[in-house]
Amino acid sequence: MTDEKIIEIINASLAEEFELDSDKMVPEAVLYDDLGLDSLDKVDTVIVLENTFKIKIREQEAIREIKTLGDIHRFVINKIMNLSNPQDAETRN
Amino acid sequence: MDRGMARLGFFSILYSIPMNIIVYPMIVLWTLLGILMLPVFFGIWKVIADWDNSRIMQFFIWIYGKGWVAIMLPFVRFSRTGFTRDLIGSSYVMVINHLSFFDFYCMGYLPFRRIAAAVRSWPFRMPWYAPFMRLAGYLDVESLGPVGSVSVGADILSKGGSVLFYPEGHRSKDGTLQRFFSGAFKLSVETGAKILPLCLTGTDVLLPPGRWWMLPARVCLVALPPIDPGNFAGPLAHIEMRKYTRAVMTEAVQGMRQW
Repeated sequence: MTDEKIIEIINASLAEEFELDSDKMVPEAVLYDDLGLDSLDKVDTVIVLENTFKIKIREQEAIREIKTLGDIHRFVINKIMNLSNPQDAETRN
Repeated sequence: MDRGMARLGFFSILYSIPMNIIVYPMIVLWTLLGILMLPVFFGIWKVIADWDNSRIMQFFIWIYGKGWVAIMLPFVRFSRTGFTRDLIGSSYVMVINHLSFFDFYCMGYLPFRRIAAAVRSWPFRMPWYAPFMRLAGYLDVESLGPVGSVSVGADILSKGGSVLFYPEGHRSKDGTLQRFFSGAFKLSVETGAKILPLCLTGTDVLLPPGRWWMLPARVCLVALPPIDPGNFAGPLAHIEMRKYTRAVMTEAVQGMRQW
């Protein structure tokens, strides 16, 4: 799966679950301030991403550092890369 | 000119002049009277009824809301539907759309006396309201966070009270329902308490965001059938419930605007 496709799926699933305006879903969008998500939504985002991509991410420390939609994109892309090819993921990081 | 102004005729706008001259001072007087008399009535009620403090305060806030409705009556037509006998007497997680600063005052028109509102932090910083809100056990959802809010909300429900949420978080600027936050639905799923969707129209004509000049209005309050959290399953049950509730409320509000 390409990075663009992953980003497209992330945006579509978050827009669907949290009824977000797709025009505001730019990588720089801050989850709290720009997208209007709250702390409960942030917890739910993890579940949505896990269900969408069939991955386990809730235990990972890096989730706490996520502030923007772009952070989510990078986090999920790295996670999927890591699962499919751990060496490539290291190089990209 | 906002939607309220545009819809009203010349005589209604003319009628708004005495409305504003009379109503604002009356609300200030009613509020001051309430603050001054509360300690006396609170003490008397405590002895007579032997209720806990939050229940007494919720009751007096409901009475305060009734007074507000009475002040408004010459200028605002109130109506409510859907509040059947079997509905009243149970505890609910209530969710209501948000149109105006005056929306919460309309809760005096509800046939429920034991309501704790779940609100953001800023009303708790208003010194003339905050002590009463704290005494009534209102939830400061921003400070409590999701886990704390569910815990406090569950305690209120277990004691026979209801918790009222404005799931949009902010007043709507155009009258349409905005996206909903999930807190109310999380509380419902966690406790098994049903969601009671309440739909309000007319307060956006009375006093919408950005205007302080009141206009005569027809305020309608409709209770939709309660929604059982048992119909939603899985780790995202609260999200499914939130989306379903928003959909039925959107349809109901659109219908009410055609009346």
